[in-house]
Amino acid sequence: MPATDNQGSFLNRISIRRNQVVSMDGGHEQELEDLDLFQKHVADRFSDLFSQPPQQPSPDSSAESPAPDALLSISWLRKLLDAFLCCEAEFKAVLVMGRDPTQFSKPPLDRLIPDLLDRSVKALDICNAITHGVELVRNWQKLAQIAVFALQQQPIGEGQVRRAKKALNTMLTSMTLDDKESGHGKSTERTWSFGRRGGGAASASVNKDRTAGGHFRAFSLSFAKSWSAKQQIQAMSSNLVAPRVGEPTGLALPVYIMSTVLVFVMWALVAAVPCQERTGLATHFPVPRQSGWAQAVLGLQEKIGEEWKKKEKKGIAGVLDEMQRMEKAGLWLVEFAEAFQFPMESSKADEVAAQVAELADVCRRMEEGLVPLQLQVREVFHRIVRSRAEVLDVLDQVGKLTSPVPY
Amino acid sequence: MEKKNRPNKFGSFTSRTSETTSSPRSPYSPLKVNQRSESDTLPTLEEDELHDHDIGQVSEDIDRFTDALSAVDDKSDPPEVPDIVETFSRILDSKIAKYNSGESTTRFFKMTEEDLLFIEAVRRISKLTNAFGEFPSSSTTTSSHNRTSMVLQRAMTFMEDEFRALLEDSWSSDSSSTNLKPYSSFNNKQEGSDRCAIPEIESTGDHDEFPAYPPEVLTKMNRIAAAMVSAGYETECCQVYTIARRNAFQEQLKRLEYEKLNIEDVQRMQWEPLEGEVARWIRLVKYCSAVLFPGERSLAESVFSDSPSLSKSIFSNIARAVAIQLLDFAEAVAMTKRSAEKLFKFLDMHETLRDLIPAISESHCSEEWEKEMASEISATLDRIGAAAMNIFCDLENSIRNDVAKTPVPGGAIHPLTRYVMNYLKYACEYKDTLEQIFQQNSKSEGEENLQSDQATSSPFSAQLLVVMDLLDENLEAKSKLYKDISLRNIFLMNNGRYILQKVKGSPEIHKGMGDNWCRRRSTVVRQYHKNYQRETCGRLLQCLSLEGGLLVNGKVCKQVVKERFKNFGVTFDEIHKAQSTWVVSDEQLVSELRVSITGLVIPAYRSFLGRFKQHLDNGRQAEKYIKYQPEDIETLIEGLFEGNPLSMGRRR
Repeated sequence: MPATDNQGSFLNRISIRRNQVVSMDGGHEQELEDLDLFQKHVADRFSDLFSQPPQQPSPDSSAESPAPDALLSISWLRKLLDAFLCCEAEFKAVLVMGRDPTQFSKPPLDRLIPDLLDRSVKALDICNAITHGVELVRNWQKLAQIAVFALQQQPIGEGQVRRAKKALNTMLTSMTLDDKESGHGKSTERTWSFGRRGGGAASASVNKDRTAGGHFRAFSLSFAKSWSAKQQIQAMSSNLVAPRVGEPTGLALPVYIMSTVLVFVMWALVAAVPCQERTGLATHFPVPRQSGWAQAVLGLQEKIGEEWKKKEKKGIAGVLDEMQRMEKAGLWLVEFAEAFQFPMESSKADEVAAQVAELADVCRRMEEGLVPLQLQVREVFHRIVRSRAEVLDVLDQVGKLTSPVPY
Repeated sequence: MEKKNRPNKFGSFTSRTSETTSSPRSPYSPLKVNQRSESDTLPTLEEDELHDHDIGQVSEDIDRFTDALSAVDDKSDPPEVPDIVETFSRILDSKIAKYNSGESTTRFFKMTEEDLLFIEAVRRISKLTNAFGEFPSSSTTTSSHNRTSMVLQRAMTFMEDEFRALLEDSWSSDSSSTNLKPYSSFNNKQEGSDRCAIPEIESTGDHDEFPAYPPEVLTKMNRIAAAMVSAGYETECCQVYTIARRNAFQEQLKRLEYEKLNIEDVQRMQWEPLEGEVARWIRLVKYCSAVLFPGERSLAESVFSDSPSLSKSIFSNIARAVAIQLLDFAEAVAMTKRSAEKLFKFLDMHETLRDLIPAISESHCSEEWEKEMASEISATLDRIGAAAMNIFCDLENSIRNDVAKTPVPGGAIHPLTRYVMNYLKYACEYKDTLEQIFQQNSKSEGEENLQSDQATSSPFSAQLLVVMDLLDENLEAKSKLYKDISLRNIFLMNNGRYILQKVKGSPEIHKGMGDNWCRRRSTVVRQYHKNYQRETCGRLLQCLSLEGGLLVNGKVCKQVVKERFKNFGVTFDEIHKAQSTWVVSDEQLVSELRVSITGLVIPAYRSFLGRFKQHLDNGRQAEKYIKYQPEDIETLIEGLFEGNPLSMGRRR
């Protein structure tokens, strides 16, 4: 795992630096300095993410393609995960490196650390759900690709149009089903529901009864039935309490900051990527307004929250930028296909070409971005696991094994 | 599955002129088909008109035209499109309509020659459509292109449905019910294919074969896939296949009672139920390595035999999703709170997972997927390995913390010794795995064994030595709880002997500890024996010594003789009384001990008796002072170390 190696060397560097400094002039000032630096870096990274022009995709003028890393686009998510990985590495350096383990057994850490560990376990399940969700998006992408392929042929004939319509209908139906069903507790039976004939045409199929049964059962095993992304996020954020102002906070502050970053990142992923049970996802959670590092996080939260509200109101399938574009172009093209008659009016041709180009652009971005995103989600997963283990190691040193030999 | 017999459904292809000679180009021979049954026809098409055509001739004409189209250099100048194109389109339309009107789920009952003809015709129309597609949109061919592409689309939609039905029905009819009857290795029955016999696997009960499709279904799927791929409908084909097979795979997992647990759930579970889940998981992963993955792979290979790269990517897609799911469980388990009892299950998981790697690399998958999976698996392996190593190293602390206040009665083997040695013995059954794990995670903290001559070959052996040394130290400390030096030595001897025997009894530990260690331990144990001997026999031999006033100026002092005999009797009684309650569980050690006492005490006693008995005044006195004859002593020594506090009384 390349991630492992990088991380290792990074931490080593930090630890060496820390040890040198500590040995020169006592630890406390250095600690404060590190803390400041950590806060500053969190602020910088999230400001970066925030300052990306959150350009709305406009398929009508799709000659001008939206910025490649618009808010909630695939590449934006990848930047978000990058930021998370950086913050996390730094956080661990602050928390674990060169630390006197006994601090872990004293307030405030004795109470905060278990919460932190609990949150990271929840985050791991979310990572898995996201990996699964990205897989689903990849399948939609393949369906969109069929439409693109069919409609890029010249001339466009009825055969091509029907082919595209079939694929897009299947894609749109699956998108809606996925989204709708995940809100009604049927989520475990959803997900890989690609209609036999695509869309409403399924009823025409010879064995319509089995269509439902056969396709809807699908990937039910990949997640435990009762699991809900919404509830996970809720549980993760419910005990997020900022250390009181004026108190000597020590390590409570970085733990709080990192927890907020973790919850924020997981929340953004759940909002963007199809995920089991996310209807009614909270649109915000408490972030202290007065802290410098929190400004960008707050701004992002507001923007994403708005997107999410819009989604729930309009009933669109996804908040992921590419998915929104895909759905929009897909709907347009299906409508076009319904009304299509051969030969195509030449006045229509440009418009169709533009929509197809838009869909092709989305497909290309998905093709380029989804697999790396998936890998990155796995990287985050592995990182969280590893960090958790490191923290547990420190705890072990504190409680140096009171467990007796079980003879 | 077969609902009814409809022998004539391909009537429209065969035409009334059944005597037609086939064109050399068409791959099929003329068909002898019964009269068309009128009930089969659809009113939508002018069948009669169509049946005036000889399908063989039509096909030949179409092929010729397609070739001609492709041969045109100047694509802006298309040739005139003959009527035969429209005729051919209609024939196909009619055929598809008839297929679609069928009520059965799989409309290709058997891959009849007619069905083959249909597939041939679809290939033909796809080729023709492609040839049309090379001409610009405004040309005269455009409407024909539109026509044929529409027919092609209908045909493909039909095939896709057919493909899906075959994939789902032929499978689910076998596997959804409890009485699974797997077809015996489908891939062996397949024509000309003898690759990849499915390996046997133990302990999966009656699920040890890949539930395959019947050969005729396989052939059909293969044909359909080939037709769809060659017509450019590869994506649709792969989608249908992948989704159906993913579902089928999940069905398999379900049948093996695998239930997906979230990481959080696993953390909250008690070990006992979780252990059951782990056992299930191990079975499942073994089954995946041995049966499901190879079976799935060769299924993809036979269905997509024309496009190996496609079958690879399809298989890797299916396998990847399953593998990650399996890995997540292992991760979740490795994250649970560690405890000694978990070690062996963790090692089992480690070994099972390690064996999954060849199931993947053997599959000659695309490099990208192999790399990703290999790194995923090795990441999980690392985690389980690290957890196992930590558990094993926890043994150190457990020993260190085992401070007893009361000695074990009778100097018997301490439970700690038994526990540690059995734990080690069991652990060493996983020696290779542990070696590997320790090698990978070897500590940088310098806990290596520093005794130079014990320089060990591996980090695991070093850890073994650390544990052994700690155990020794611990026992040494525990021995101090015995005030009686003989008993202290018995205790050390008992435990030392037990340790040695365990080490010698297990080739793995023996190898780990090395011969030198064993020799050294034997010496130490012998030393305990000697210490004991010196201590116990010393007391007796003192009574029989010629020193200490027995001879005064060469004359035997009767009083002292009397005392000596008396003391001997008393001392022996004491020793016997105490040591009969001591425990030596090792038979050989018992007899060694008895022999060594007998060998020392009896000859000395005999000669003392022979020399000084006469100095006792008479028989009465002799009886009074000489409590035991040598033979009595011998008998009593036989009663030592029985661990029985009553043995003394009983013998009396």
